[in-house]
Amino acid sequence: MTNTSVDTKQSSNGTAGFVRRMLANTGPLLILVALWIILMILSEPFRNPRTWGLLALEVAAIGVVAAGQTFVILTGGIDLSVEAMVSFAGVVAAILIAGTSIAGGQVANGLPSVVAIAVALAAGIGIGMFQGMLITLFRMNPLIVTLGFRSMLLGVALVWTRGAGINILKDGPLTAITTVIRVGNFPIPVPFLIAVVVYLASWFVLKHTKFGRYTYAIGGNETAARLSGIRVDLVKATIYGISGFLAAIGGIMVMGRLQSGAYQNGTNMTLASVAAVVIGGTSLSGGIGGIWGTLIGVTIIRIVEAGMVYLDVPSTAKEIVIGAIIVLAVMLDVIRRGEVPWLRIRRRAG
Amino acid sequence: MSETILTTASDTESTAKPPLLEMRSITKRFPGVLALSEVDFDVRKGEVHALVGENGAGKSTLMKILSGVYERDSGEVIFKGQPVAFRNPRQSQLAGITTIYQELNQVPYLSVTENIFLGTELTRGGVALKWSEMHQQARDLLAKLHLDIDPRTLVGRLGVGMQQMVEVAKALYHKADLIIMDEPTSSLSIREINDLFNIVRELKAEGVSVIYISHHLEETFRISDRTTVLRDGHLIKTQPSADLNVDRLIRLMVGRDLSEQFPKEIEVRGDEVLRIEGLNQGATLRDINFSAYAGEVLGIAGLVGAGRTELVRAIFGADPIDSGTFYLDGKKVNIKSSRDAVHNGIGLLTEDRKRQGLFLQMTVRENITISVLERLTRGLTTNRKREVELSQQYIDSLAIKTSGQDQLAINLSGGTQQKVVLSKWLVTKPRVLIFDEPTRGIDVGAKVEIYRMMNNLAKQGVAILMVSSELPEILGMSDRIMVVTAGRIRGFLDRDEASEQRIMELATATDRQTIAEVLPDLFSE
Repeated sequence: MTNTSVDTKQSSNGTAGFVRRMLANTGPLLILVALWIILMILSEPFRNPRTWGLLALEVAAIGVVAAGQTFVILTGGIDLSVEAMVSFAGVVAAILIAGTSIAGGQVANGLPSVVAIAVALAAGIGIGMFQGMLITLFRMNPLIVTLGFRSMLLGVALVWTRGAGINILKDGPLTAITTVIRVGNFPIPVPFLIAVVVYLASWFVLKHTKFGRYTYAIGGNETAARLSGIRVDLVKATIYGISGFLAAIGGIMVMGRLQSGAYQNGTNMTLASVAAVVIGGTSLSGGIGGIWGTLIGVTIIRIVEAGMVYLDVPSTAKEIVIGAIIVLAVMLDVIRRGEVPWLRIRRRAG
Repeated sequence: MSETILTTASDTESTAKPPLLEMRSITKRFPGVLALSEVDFDVRKGEVHALVGENGAGKSTLMKILSGVYERDSGEVIFKGQPVAFRNPRQSQLAGITTIYQELNQVPYLSVTENIFLGTELTRGGVALKWSEMHQQARDLLAKLHLDIDPRTLVGRLGVGMQQMVEVAKALYHKADLIIMDEPTSSLSIREINDLFNIVRELKAEGVSVIYISHHLEETFRISDRTTVLRDGHLIKTQPSADLNVDRLIRLMVGRDLSEQFPKEIEVRGDEVLRIEGLNQGATLRDINFSAYAGEVLGIAGLVGAGRTELVRAIFGADPIDSGTFYLDGKKVNIKSSRDAVHNGIGLLTEDRKRQGLFLQMTVRENITISVLERLTRGLTTNRKREVELSQQYIDSLAIKTSGQDQLAINLSGGTQQKVVLSKWLVTKPRVLIFDEPTRGIDVGAKVEIYRMMNNLAKQGVAILMVSSELPEILGMSDRIMVVTAGRIRGFLDRDEASEQRIMELATATDRQTIAEVLPDLFSE
């Protein structure tokens, strides 16, 4: 009977399936479009493409970080260390470029930015994978492991910089990846393009490679994944590596934009990334969700923040709004899944 | 003349004693399907009423409407003479209807007493718990059920059978008039089933009514007064169980003849495929030595807790072992993980397919190909076209009832899900395939299909190991039977010499030394 009880939206292949997936994704997308339209109506500067360019820049770094978070959450884990990694990677790169860990003026006799960035990214992968190994090999709770590393990485960034920002001068390559290019009337920040590439790559990995399939499988049923012969520990460790790597890219973006590596660079990015993932429809218990939802989630968060600026809401109230959005997103998520018994819209035959 | 009088007499009798429960013309619709269509159902006081039907016939839906999990679309429910409409299970429980679910709803880290009194704790002034009184009452309830367990024991330490008994004790505490037992024996050993039946008889003697849902038809005859058959959401028949037999019942359930329950085809035994030497694992497995042959179904029988599941999990590399050498096709192989097992051509259909076998939120295709994605990967990407072809091939050959490859596994029936898990292993072209309780919770029609697939696999030279608690299944499908007791192999029986009697003799053989060695571990587990 369960066979026949499948409602028509579920039974799908080809175009029908595509439409269904689109519908499932439209929730966050509709909210985004609605916000956009509301802000266009209410706020004069919001109609200006320059503002959009700025928004794209705001989306870039957190977007890349949240992409990594998406992988982790899809496996049923969580990475609370990302904001610390953003700061840490920025500090590492800045110190290497500046050739000094003393705050203030750029000495400009450090390493070329390409080398410095490579070191910072390698550190991101390495530290991420190390966390993943602790989580898998010792069966430690990801919440605690990544929380511990958050503290350690922030601590190291703080010690190395003595609490101040390491200022740098941008050389050619660093300028190239932080500049804004113009397409007609539209300013497009290069970091945003990088973010787009990251999202395309993430989509490709999740949809078209065995690694992506394993990611969903582990989040959906880790025991079954193990019993199906999947190297669960390896995949999970790699995924924390990916998260560390993408957080480090985010860190370079922030550092490049500010021309400063400081331990505060990543502030609030953990919460924002988890919020973006959840708003985008990825289940915190893993196995369900996707990368594009996260991009929408990130954009929603940034658009709300920008909207508050343009509507003269005191910036101190930002946290209240973001917090409320997260709670609302999770609420929508459980309702949509029919996990709230007294709100269950349709029930399946048992 | 005399006939008329008799009819009148019985009519008067039944009107004089109104049934405890009457469900009239119950209809329930889910999106796309009519789950129940004007079903009538009644239970008398002190009656054991069996409710049977294939998966999806509507048994669970009917019971969920009764207990308040679902709302009915139309029809009425009269309980103890009052029309009722329970809105949640708590309301029905307060009214005197308790359900004992297939998946038990207990808190493993709380004691037996705490579980029995959960939500209705005895307190002084609403705050302080009256421990000694609760323990005493729990002890009395357990004694009533002839259960020899300390009420302070953590429920998680009890076996599934005992946990179920605790649920019964809880129902007794709540003074239930009607207990719904949903597949109560699916994970019980034969002895536990007997205990359960004794308890059901005692409940009955005390005037408690029981609705008994089971796929094990033999059981329903042993225990029930009347039997109601549902099929595709329709009431087929309610009649005294004494007037039925298994064949008739199956015909009523399936709507067609099932000439044989076990369509066993005997193959010529081929070469040795798997040989295990000196397998030991803590106190759970001791000195295991055996071989499995191509084309053979080796049944693994034993009581619950004898180590059958542990044995197959060890062979599959799912749990670490202390020692043991494995040979596949005569060659020594190293199996340290499930991955090694899969790569060496060993597959395991776990007993709990939802928790250990399936990816419920993934599609049929993704479930089928998960173990062979590496083979399907060219360069970076998975070969989508081959993946689609491959899964379609198995959907066709196993007649998997699905609306398409993209259907999520969660939306499939139990039997269909089992076929999907089976396909997952078939694509790996296994040399050895282990079935752990392959037909648990699966309806009669789907069972036969699974058995036919076993036949096919055996024909192709796969060595099959089948763990089962159902002796008819073991006897019906095995070429050879290995009996496991307390972590050791107690003996082998050939198909011709095997009988329920012989298996039980071996399974319950009291080698005092072995039992003494192992039992403490079983209890402290």
